[in-house]
Amino acid sequence: MPRRNIMVIGSGPIIIGQAAEFDYAGVQACRALREEGHRVVLVNSNPATIMTDPEIADAVYLEPLTVPSVEQIIARERPDALLPTLGGQTGLNLAVELDEAGILQRYGVELLGTPVDTIKLAEDRERFKEKMIEIGEPVAESEIVTTVEQGVDFARRSGYPLVVRPAYTLGGTGGGVVYDEAELRERLDAGLNASLIHQVLLETSLLGWKEIEYEVLRDGADNCIIVCNMENIDPVGVHTGDSIVVAPSQTLTDREYQMLRTSSLNVIRALDVQGGCNIQFALHPTSNEYAIIEVNPRVSRSSALASKATGYPIAKISTRIALGQTLDEIPNPVTGVTKAAYEPTLDYVVVKIPRWPFDKFPLADTSLGTQMKSTGEAMGIGRTFRSALMKAVRGLDLKREKLLGAPYSEWSTAELEAIVVKPTHERLFAVAELLRRAHGEGRDAAIERIHAISAIDRFWLYEIEAIVAAEEAGEPLEPGAPSFRMVDTAAAEFPAKSPYYYLSHGELDEIRPTPHDAVVVVGSGPIRIGQGIEFDYSCVHAAWALRAAGKSPVVINNNPETVSTDFDISDALVFEPPGPDEVEATYRGTNASGVMLAFGGQTAINLASELSRRNVRIIGSDRASLDMAEDRAQFDAALQRLGVARPEGKAATSFREARVFARELGFPVLVRPSFVLGGRAMEIIYNEGQLASYAESAPPILPGAPLLVDKYLRGLEVEVDAVFDGDDILIPGIFEHIERAGIHSGDSISVYPTQTIDQAMTDRIVEVTKSIASELRIRGLINIQFVVHEGDLYIIEANPRASRTVPIIQKATGVNMVAAATRIALGEKLRDMEYGTGLHPRTPYVVVKVPVFSFSKMRGVETILGPEMKSTGEVLGIDETFEGALRKGFVGAGVRLPGSGGRILVSIADEEKSESLPILRRYADLGHTLVATAGTRAILEDAGIACEAINKISDGSPHVLDVIHARKVDLVINDAKGPRELSDGYRIRRAAVESGIACLTSLDTAKALVTALENVPGPPRSLHEYRDLARVQSVG
Amino acid sequence: MLADGSRFDGHGLDYRGVAFGEAVFYTGMTGYEEALTDPSYAGQILTFTYPLIGNYGISGTAAQYPRACVAGTVIKQIAHRPSHYLAKTDLPSWLDEQSIPALIGADTRAITIALREHGTIWAALAVGEEELERAERELTAFVRTATTKALVPSVATRERHVEGTTGGPRVTLIDCGVKKAILRELTALGSEVTVVPYNATEAELLEGDPDAIFISPGPGDPTDLPETIDTLRKLMGRKPLFGVCLGHQLLALACGAKTYKLPYGHRGGNQPVKDRVNDHVLITAHNHGYAVDTHSLPSDLEETMTNLNDGTNEGFRHRKLPIAAVQFHPEASPGPFDARRLFAEWLATVR
Repeated sequence: MPRRNIMVIGSGPIIIGQAAEFDYAGVQACRALREEGHRVVLVNSNPATIMTDPEIADAVYLEPLTVPSVEQIIARERPDALLPTLGGQTGLNLAVELDEAGILQRYGVELLGTPVDTIKLAEDRERFKEKMIEIGEPVAESEIVTTVEQGVDFARRSGYPLVVRPAYTLGGTGGGVVYDEAELRERLDAGLNASLIHQVLLETSLLGWKEIEYEVLRDGADNCIIVCNMENIDPVGVHTGDSIVVAPSQTLTDREYQMLRTSSLNVIRALDVQGGCNIQFALHPTSNEYAIIEVNPRVSRSSALASKATGYPIAKISTRIALGQTLDEIPNPVTGVTKAAYEPTLDYVVVKIPRWPFDKFPLADTSLGTQMKSTGEAMGIGRTFRSALMKAVRGLDLKREKLLGAPYSEWSTAELEAIVVKPTHERLFAVAELLRRAHGEGRDAAIERIHAISAIDRFWLYEIEAIVAAEEAGEPLEPGAPSFRMVDTAAAEFPAKSPYYYLSHGELDEIRPTPHDAVVVVGSGPIRIGQGIEFDYSCVHAAWALRAAGKSPVVINNNPETVSTDFDISDALVFEPPGPDEVEATYRGTNASGVMLAFGGQTAINLASELSRRNVRIIGSDRASLDMAEDRAQFDAALQRLGVARPEGKAATSFREARVFARELGFPVLVRPSFVLGGRAMEIIYNEGQLASYAESAPPILPGAPLLVDKYLRGLEVEVDAVFDGDDILIPGIFEHIERAGIHSGDSISVYPTQTIDQAMTDRIVEVTKSIASELRIRGLINIQFVVHEGDLYIIEANPRASRTVPIIQKATGVNMVAAATRIALGEKLRDMEYGTGLHPRTPYVVVKVPVFSFSKMRGVETILGPEMKSTGEVLGIDETFEGALRKGFVGAGVRLPGSGGRILVSIADEEKSESLPILRRYADLGHTLVATAGTRAILEDAGIACEAINKISDGSPHVLDVIHARKVDLVINDAKGPRELSDGYRIRRAAVESGIACLTSLDTAKALVTALENVPGPPRSLHEYRDLARVQSVG
Repeated sequence: MLADGSRFDGHGLDYRGVAFGEAVFYTGMTGYEEALTDPSYAGQILTFTYPLIGNYGISGTAAQYPRACVAGTVIKQIAHRPSHYLAKTDLPSWLDEQSIPALIGADTRAITIALREHGTIWAALAVGEEELERAERELTAFVRTATTKALVPSVATRERHVEGTTGGPRVTLIDCGVKKAILRELTALGSEVTVVPYNATEAELLEGDPDAIFISPGPGDPTDLPETIDTLRKLMGRKPLFGVCLGHQLLALACGAKTYKLPYGHRGGNQPVKDRVNDHVLITAHNHGYAVDTHSLPSDLEETMTNLNDGTNEGFRHRKLPIAAVQFHPEASPGPFDARRLFAEWLATVR
């Protein structure tokens, strides 16, 4: 095939429902395209991805995933073809929009793989239903509605419960099960809004049926295979992304398995899918009746899971199919001898458990339904379901090793049963606890009762009961020494060449020596708020750097979505939770010379002391450095020795003591428990009243983990990522935050290079960074957060590991700091490397990272930003000017505001008016109309800014919430201090989120947005072009 | 206990006994009831590579034969409490009732690797102290005299009988150990099937002037059945002939091709087969230890199907006469139904 210019669209920022799986898929796609000799143009706004590395594609565009932006790129790059099915729902929707706008046709861009009409057919619930009826495949009785009244009408005929499924949405946004008319009306309103085509499917409920998925591949010659089937433990009613999923199915007879397999093939053929496809079925538990729930004609979260569960690389094969190859000519990458046309068979069991963000949002609605709420997932592979389930439980990194125990042992039986009936993320543990309470003979009755109230198949209950019994008896599920088993797609029928392992116990050990000296890279586990895809990015780079240095990278991780768990990345992949036992077994089993913890986030760092105790050799920064950075007393002593200031603070052992300290320091203060991730339970407290309510809601203060109370300095926040080798420091760049200190760095807009700090302060930051790195005896990466307050530099915290900003700084500057850190861990010095030392020269372009939130998926969550991190992902804007980069960042993050003529609902606090008025005036000057309730309106009009009046909620309709729900405003600026859940402000913010309207809660963000709107960004450029600009500058 | 001396431990069920036979493995993840009752597994000790067996119990309706056909079975984890609305009993109780010795909790993957590396091998499976001693004592002697010759007679029908309804094509089926699923497929398509013993004579086969003759699958080595091969040779060109699995091998031998023993056989439901006629890939169910040597196919035979994994012959047809056969199982049960259409296509040609 001649070399073609092929565009790949990524999935954009990580949001609930669309996570790292598309980085994994995209990387496989790009590699497959380049292996076939094609030129790849990649577009994705998410910088924390491997796919946007300049090494993965020939031209990488970190640009907004919008039609105008992608059209500009198409115009410059003139791709011959576009591969749309690897970038999740975002990529798919964008491809459809480009097609509908006539852009693909205008530029002669061919769509590869599954035809666009198939994509539309699968998404359009009415056409899909008709097609299924046409080919004789059953679907649930349903009706497509486009208005609330139509829906209510259908409900009158069909009865409740009903399932609401909006068309063209992601992760079931706006969907759910409704039990009465009030719920139906509320859900329909949200669902119709969430749907791109304002269409919702109302479906008679299949609640309680088994939920089964098939991952199917079809090539252009009509050859079809099933890669994997999966069974959800949670029956129909819980989104599959929020269900505990098992591969392969366990309770289906061969007839049932084959019946659904045959149906899958009928569907994929009828739809003319070319590539991967996911089909979800509901199977009646006591008959052979089934119904097709939905079809996703693209790679998905499920296909990533299926790929990792079987070893079969679906995205790679899908890409080759899109290029016109057939399954019988594509080699099987696992065996190397057979072909891709076969069906994997497993000799182990795979269990996936979702990771939910509820630990960070105590007030969130934790009920599970058709709208996905989890941010990530942990997968366990075991020779039995029991061991696989427990690996997944442990792998959630919730400090939970068992099914039994607190807090569920303290709950009443009624409380436990309540969540068995109406599931939350805690259902598995509730089931286990209920079984424990039923002793001896009562167990069978308890199983019957749980089955009756939850419809969970008895098989799972029997298995959970067996785990409970083992835990009660204190017996291991799998006795014996650890033994490595292979994932070979063929149940040992053929020898595999891919070094993909999991652990069993007391069985044959199949590990093979790595080709070179092994070094273990410990991964970061499931994606959660505060520990996202960026750590996987660092792990992958560490593995690559090891390989480049002549070592054999061994990766241990349990996140099925990620690039790091692609067996191509390492010389041995051990798919296990990164816990001390598993890391030790991997270290010893591979005869490794060391273990690297610095890239796997806090999960890996937390292993340091236990691994040291077991004489596992940690390379890079060692345990002493890690302890010094983590332990407040040690860290303070180090700072004192260096003469570096930090905000004054104390460690309180009780809330009473915290109050005393707060008075001494003076409000506002920043409070947080020690040893937490992502700013959990961290808050800025402005007065004693707030401190009292914090004491009520915060986790109790435990001995040995005091509550930290710091003076809060509302200054400019600055963040540094550096590499230190014992002598020299390398600082690729310094980030400056748009929002002043007090908002978690992960939730702030951050800018590189710095825009406001002067040379003297820059020098001071470099000097302090080096002295801290030296004092902490860092050998590798360090991340430091500073505050510049009234001309002084204060340190907030130092982390002896890779940070969230590492991928961004690598991308912005081209300095591969992970590779540098890896080589330092292996004993090299910076001065012998190609990256230079000291502060890297500023780039002649600016990058702006804008956080992205998933608030619409998290009902009940307060959207005000603060020290506790809430964002799930991020986008990057790159431009030659700061303002242009800012604008691209906002657009990429999905903030939609017309250049002028928009309506902005504002609400500002009296004490902030001197700051807010100039900003709001700029919005008015751009031609936007400000809308406000009486208090804010008075402030604005006093200042001579025109403003439209709107009622407060208590004034009656039409009030603020009405205009939001009716989408008569384009933006909400709601400046708020401190959490005020359940207040008017909270209701306004939630209404904005649920209506898809951007809501800014910080004046700093509002100022940045207006600055962005006042400026026009430059045209898109590829990362390679930006790098060339930097090169020209450094040469000049 | 394999004939090369390697040994795998586990525990047994209530039934105590010794099984001597060929050790083989089955890679399907479902379909244990069908597999355990498949006559083609007669005389074999069957290891399931999938570790959780028995989850949905025994329904009786999935059975391919009135009783268990395997000599013994090896399972990693057996379900004592099945969960399925069709389950009549649990697998352990059924195995005990069928007097099938079962090794539970053994490292089935290690056994599979051993079989893959060594090739199919004679073995003994024993449950019970005395039985273990007996197995140790007798395995060598068994290996010395072991043969597959008695397998087909042990499972094939002895009585001529008729299945299905009248009015459709009349098919005489040579029963070498037929599965219910084959009779189900043929009768569901309206044919009237006369089942005759594997050693039926030419005259017996032609009795009633059937429209076509079908040669069933069955256990063991096709060269164990020289009389059947002779009979088939006499029928060539006189009646349309169609063979499946052992039937395929017998027809190949009758046409002058050769068969050979595969290193460790094909047993599972995921084998890709290329249909050379329409260039399509079928995922097929397999259960065979012998194969037809593609290179030995006489010029009259055209290869129609090829295994994509190892290139072995999966089907042929005669260039002039109405003779066709496939090595895999279009009737599935257990396994996928990608090739189900072959029955209808064949029946359409014989009317």
